[in-house]
Amino acid sequence: MKPSLPGASTDRRTLLRLIGLGATATLGGSALAACSKEAGSKGTATKADAIRSVLPAHKPAVLLKPDVPGEGPIPDGYLSYPRQLADAVTEQPGRGGPAIRTMSPWWGPTPPTLGKNSYLAAINAKLGVDVDPSLQDGNTYADKLNAMLGARDVPDILSVPNWEVDKIARFSDAVKALFEDLTDHLKGDAAAAYPYLAALPTGAWEYSVWGGRLAAVPFPTDGPFAWALFHRKDLFDRAGLAAPTSPDELYELGKKATDPAKGVWAFGSVFDMVQQLFGCQQTWRKRPDGGLEHKFENPAFAAALEFTAKLFADGLVHPDTVASKGADEKQLFKAGKILMYQDGLGAWQGMQSEQTQVLPSFDMQPLPLFGAGGSQPLIWGSEKPIFFTFIKKGLGKDRVEELLRVLNWCAAPFGSREFELREFGVEGKHFTRAADGSPAATELGRKEMGAQYTHIGGRMPVKVRSADTPNYVQDYIGYYQKNIGLMEKDLFAGIKLELPANWSKILQPTDDKILDILRGRRPLTDLEAVRKEFLTTGGEEGRAFFEKALSDNGR
Amino acid sequence: MTTQGTAGVVETPAAAPAAPPGRTRRKARRTLRARLARDWPLLAMTAPAAALLLVFHYVPTLGNVIAFQDYNPFVGNDPIDAFLHSEWIGFGNFEALFRDPLFWGAVRNTLAITAFQLVFFFPLPILLAILLNSLVSGRLRGLVQSVVYLPHFFSWVLVVTFFVQMLGGAGLLAQQMRQAGLQPWNVMTNPDGFIVLVTAEAVWKDIGWGAIVFLAALAAIDPNLYEAAAADGAGRWRRLWHITLPGLRPVIVLLLIMRLGDALSVGFEQFILQRDAVGRNAAEVLDTFVYYQAIATQQWGLGAAAGLFKAVVGLALILTANHVAHRLGEQGVYSKS
Repeated sequence: MKPSLPGASTDRRTLLRLIGLGATATLGGSALAACSKEAGSKGTATKADAIRSVLPAHKPAVLLKPDVPGEGPIPDGYLSYPRQLADAVTEQPGRGGPAIRTMSPWWGPTPPTLGKNSYLAAINAKLGVDVDPSLQDGNTYADKLNAMLGARDVPDILSVPNWEVDKIARFSDAVKALFEDLTDHLKGDAAAAYPYLAALPTGAWEYSVWGGRLAAVPFPTDGPFAWALFHRKDLFDRAGLAAPTSPDELYELGKKATDPAKGVWAFGSVFDMVQQLFGCQQTWRKRPDGGLEHKFENPAFAAALEFTAKLFADGLVHPDTVASKGADEKQLFKAGKILMYQDGLGAWQGMQSEQTQVLPSFDMQPLPLFGAGGSQPLIWGSEKPIFFTFIKKGLGKDRVEELLRVLNWCAAPFGSREFELREFGVEGKHFTRAADGSPAATELGRKEMGAQYTHIGGRMPVKVRSADTPNYVQDYIGYYQKNIGLMEKDLFAGIKLELPANWSKILQPTDDKILDILRGRRPLTDLEAVRKEFLTTGGEEGRAFFEKALSDNGR
Repeated sequence: MTTQGTAGVVETPAAAPAAPPGRTRRKARRTLRARLARDWPLLAMTAPAAALLLVFHYVPTLGNVIAFQDYNPFVGNDPIDAFLHSEWIGFGNFEALFRDPLFWGAVRNTLAITAFQLVFFFPLPILLAILLNSLVSGRLRGLVQSVVYLPHFFSWVLVVTFFVQMLGGAGLLAQQMRQAGLQPWNVMTNPDGFIVLVTAEAVWKDIGWGAIVFLAALAAIDPNLYEAAAADGAGRWRRLWHITLPGLRPVIVLLLIMRLGDALSVGFEQFILQRDAVGRNAAEVLDTFVYYQAIATQQWGLGAAAGLFKAVVGLALILTANHVAHRLGEQGVYSKS
């Protein structure tokens, strides 16, 4: 499988579906007898103001002026690879300490380990200290992480994806017990010692505070949208299909495009995107009276559910998607067996570049967004960093500084020699240079590299044009610029939430029930009952918790 | 519950060799020291296995205390400390568990699948073993045997994918039927037929593997019995009924009892993979319930409570089945004397 980098958002899809945090809810134990107590956290929320005082002072460090400047959470774009590279780090970060054990996620075959990997050897020589990475399958990262945190046996540097953090109960306890408090190293002007960490956006740092202390280095997102609805533009054009502008047109298009005899179906998984097109919020939205309204209470959700259930009922969804969690929609999409499916935008460049080799006319594009019934779509997303990098507690001040210098090296910006070495390896070995100066990975490069350094250092995300994806940078940034105004505002930005156990518990069972309706195993009219069950068995408790978190922060 | 007050399952049949009668008295008076001096090589050989058992089975068993705690792995200074500092909540986890209709739904599904598979899966490896045993050509038997046990080594992901590719809506069968102008069957996504589907998958995967033990038992049956019976005019079926099956009976009973002890485990991946296809109502078993409600939400105490429940039910079933086996004159899994 081709890793979808650097936006790990792609793979969040698989993960969420596997663990079932995607949508939401049912029955839990409610009132308990007097003789014994109820287990599980009641949830906590850390206030946003407590967070601001510990952040690093932001100081941009851009070596090259971008050709397509991004704005806010949209990354900068470059249309050519620089001929001249600069040295970003002059002082060797390592002081020859013992090997630094790291763990980070990777979605692809595991590269060779330290001692058998020339890419690691080349960078470790530059660093002046050995980094000994352990890469774990990103789709099952939670399994490893849970065991590791429970046993309190963490490596020197640990990368934790944000969607895993949300799932780990009592994560703030874990942070306090296991990870170094970085506040004194990075607060305010102290961060100037690590210029490329100080250059990371303040919005990303805000999420890295637990219990009022700076606990992690963020890996900023390269685009805030959770999903896009990808379509095979090449196949659309060939069949003379125009992009739809309303749900009805989307349905008609699906009918036209589906041809089971040829093994072609219009849709893979699309439910999350359909909800967004119908203007439904991801979880909560504010009611005019100030309270919160769950998406199940929004008529837009019922409409989206009805629409998607019809796609299933009328056989417009590929049977593999219907039949198992194992359906590899990326493969089906590449093979033209499905024409539309939802995925993270991180999947885009990797798949386009890979498929261009197989089919030169291959063209995947996000479907232009449209609303239902004349209203605007509402796009889910957040500026939350993709990963957090934690440093093990109790290593001593000198060692922590050494590790931070290594992270700083790993965050070197585009246009530097360090960036090239980190992202592409050694010239002539891991990559060759095309005529336009841009690097192209060799077989060895593909084998030995697994973002071992990228995923631990919070680099500034950039989008760079490559010879095999000539239009990607403009398309990607263009899609964001066009639609960023439609993005849902994160009501809880900057507030650290530890969700109550009763809330977390109802998510999967409710998800299952919604799925039953979606697949036609229960009638649409059951939504009312599902919503009631959801609210009485933990939904209302969740609402109270979220409302309190908002009012405590004066929002 | 009929646990009949036995000393417990750890009671293994005493392996002490029967000493010659004349020396018994003198031996019984040997001191501990003398016995150690004599037996130390045997003890040394057992020690690694015993240590393994202790470290990986008995010590972790102590971790079950979290079933009675609101367990927080991050309190205190180290993992042991976390056990000591987590709050004791009595039977709170069990109450939450037993109050949860989802839990009972999962138990019901699990038991239904176990019962169904006892009838429709358990006898099949026996039949296969008898069939294989009756093949005269050793080469053919070896070939068939290899072919039928190979699937055991496939992961469930592969097995389920294989079934989807063959029987799914875009699979081989469905495409053939479409080409013939027929409406394809809905095999993989029908909640009502799910129990048959999972059993079929299990049979495909494990029938050959299950037959191995029975083949070994068949090989141990004295061929003279068959010859004698044949000489007395017993036909094929009579020999099967009066020699083969009685010869297999102890092994069948043993495996049946062990399967009953596992009655609440029917697998995990197979169900989690097909959950979306048929919905929770059909596919939720105890192990997936624990995964979604205890592990994914990190309610470790609740998970431990469910695990203890499973162990207690399993133990009760083993003891009962063993008791019944004794009554019927079988040896069972263990016996008191």
